[in-house]
Amino acid sequence: MPKRKLHPLPSSAFQILLALVGEDLHGYGIMRQVAEQTDGRMRLGPGTLYSSIQSLLEEKFIEEVDLREDTKLGQERRRYYRLTSAGRKLARSEAERLADLLRVARAKKILRGAYV
Amino acid sequence: MSEKIYAWLLRLYPSHFREAYGNEALQLFRDRARDEKGFFRSLRLWLDLLVDLAISVPREYGYVQPALIGASTLHRLEGVPAFYVLEGESPTLGALLFGSVLSFVALGTFWILLSHAGGYAGIGVMKSGQSQSDSGFSQQQAPQAGPQDAISATNRPDGEVFKLDAAERQRVIDAAVAILKNHYIERDHAQKMADALLAHKQSGDDDAVTDGVAFAALLTRQMREVSPDRHLTLDYSQAPLPQHPTGQTPEGLARYREAMNQQNCTFERVEILPHNIGYLKLNSFPDVSVCQPTAAAAMASLNNVDAFIFDLRDNRGGEPSMVALLAAYLFDHPEYLYNPRENTTEQSWTHSPVPGSRLADKPVYLLTSARTYSGAEQFSYDLKMLKRATLVGETTGGGAHSGVWHRIDDHFGMGIPETKAINPFSKTDWAEVGVEPDVKVNAADALATAEKLAQGKLQKK
Repeated sequence: MPKRKLHPLPSSAFQILLALVGEDLHGYGIMRQVAEQTDGRMRLGPGTLYSSIQSLLEEKFIEEVDLREDTKLGQERRRYYRLTSAGRKLARSEAERLADLLRVARAKKILRGAYV
Repeated sequence: MSEKIYAWLLRLYPSHFREAYGNEALQLFRDRARDEKGFFRSLRLWLDLLVDLAISVPREYGYVQPALIGASTLHRLEGVPAFYVLEGESPTLGALLFGSVLSFVALGTFWILLSHAGGYAGIGVMKSGQSQSDSGFSQQQAPQAGPQDAISATNRPDGEVFKLDAAERQRVIDAAVAILKNHYIERDHAQKMADALLAHKQSGDDDAVTDGVAFAALLTRQMREVSPDRHLTLDYSQAPLPQHPTGQTPEGLARYREAMNQQNCTFERVEILPHNIGYLKLNSFPDVSVCQPTAAAAMASLNNVDAFIFDLRDNRGGEPSMVALLAAYLFDHPEYLYNPRENTTEQSWTHSPVPGSRLADKPVYLLTSARTYSGAEQFSYDLKMLKRATLVGETTGGGAHSGVWHRIDDHFGMGIPETKAINPFSKTDWAEVGVEPDVKVNAADALATAEKLAQGKLQKK
């Protein structure tokens, strides 16, 4: 099985990394967190979500923590995921890349308003 | 219920994905379904899921394929044939059911397509049967099933498929060589073309061809490489060619007469349009011996018009004698009509003036289309070259049928120019290139354009 490509980092994978920055989450938790941090614009479907999770696991940017219940969601045991230090580094470098882009965009005055 | 549907849809993913994340995907679906209730939110959920499926299923299979291709290439290099198991588990009942339904749909579609192809073949065969009345330069000499019919009739209605083998190729080449030597007008060229056909055969250039149409085209090309004569053709017909042209038998003639009576000799419309413009829509140039009275009556009824429009847009040709008969009305002295098949004969001259005809000095317009063919092209070509008519419409079909037809066997025949008619107007005629109109417009607009031109001309007077 060839490794899935994370270069360039797909936006779904970047969003998952960002979702895991603050806390460990299970799949549905990640999906909800991503929806929240994108104002509902990105609703990851199961296929895309777990495909991205698998890629990030293979590259060790995230890791599986354990199986446990989410009391808010019922008795089912869920697999939780955690950001690794490599994943954090990757998320930071991607954020910096985007920040660089943003600087260029600002310099070229294609953004409306001074603060975006 | 909706969970079952989604579980079924999950089967679309490759097994490695289902094993790793199938349960979690289902769990995520349950979570969302529980949290997103109400019509619009459910609708949004399903839209999300379908979009997600459409994007992620192909991607997941994309991860499987390169690994397998890489592995199989390795083995092929070693020269060992091998099978690979894509799925580690035996197919489930649902997968088998899905596969069966898909197979039936595919087979059904294929069957429907095949039946449609058969329908077109039927039309092709019918056309070739009709050709004695509405196409071909002449009933005696034009092939009854021309190459165009042959192409459309690749499936015979009786299901019998003609197969071109080495023996048949040899037979056709031998016959073509004999016909060239015995009949072709230029003896030197005939010998050279025959030699070329045999040389190509010797060097195996023909061996790979098993398709009749392609074989006929190949031999025609080989002959024309030696002598670029567009009137020389070797044709293939999937439908068996008749032993004798049907028009020559008494029964054939009787059928033709009856058909012409029913169709008013293909004089479809004879009318006087506004501004006293005569309009004659003629769909063939029928045999004079059968249709002379009809032609004379039509021309007489339009004798007093100020301008004349011949509509040849649906005219597929016919008899040179009818071409000459109708053209005669348009001249006050005998005119030579070029006909690529015939040496100068009495028929090559119009019997002008026609007693009582008042049309000899009236402006004439011919409407043409890409369907205008053969004899209709002779009429158009000659009147254009004689500057007696203005052609309005499209470039014509380019069928000269000037060769005398020789039947080789049930499927092959040759058109051979046996005479060398003198073309007084130009080095080439309309064979394969068609007759160019003077005023180029779409066939559908040709009548309106010609009417305008005629009105303009009449007003100037």
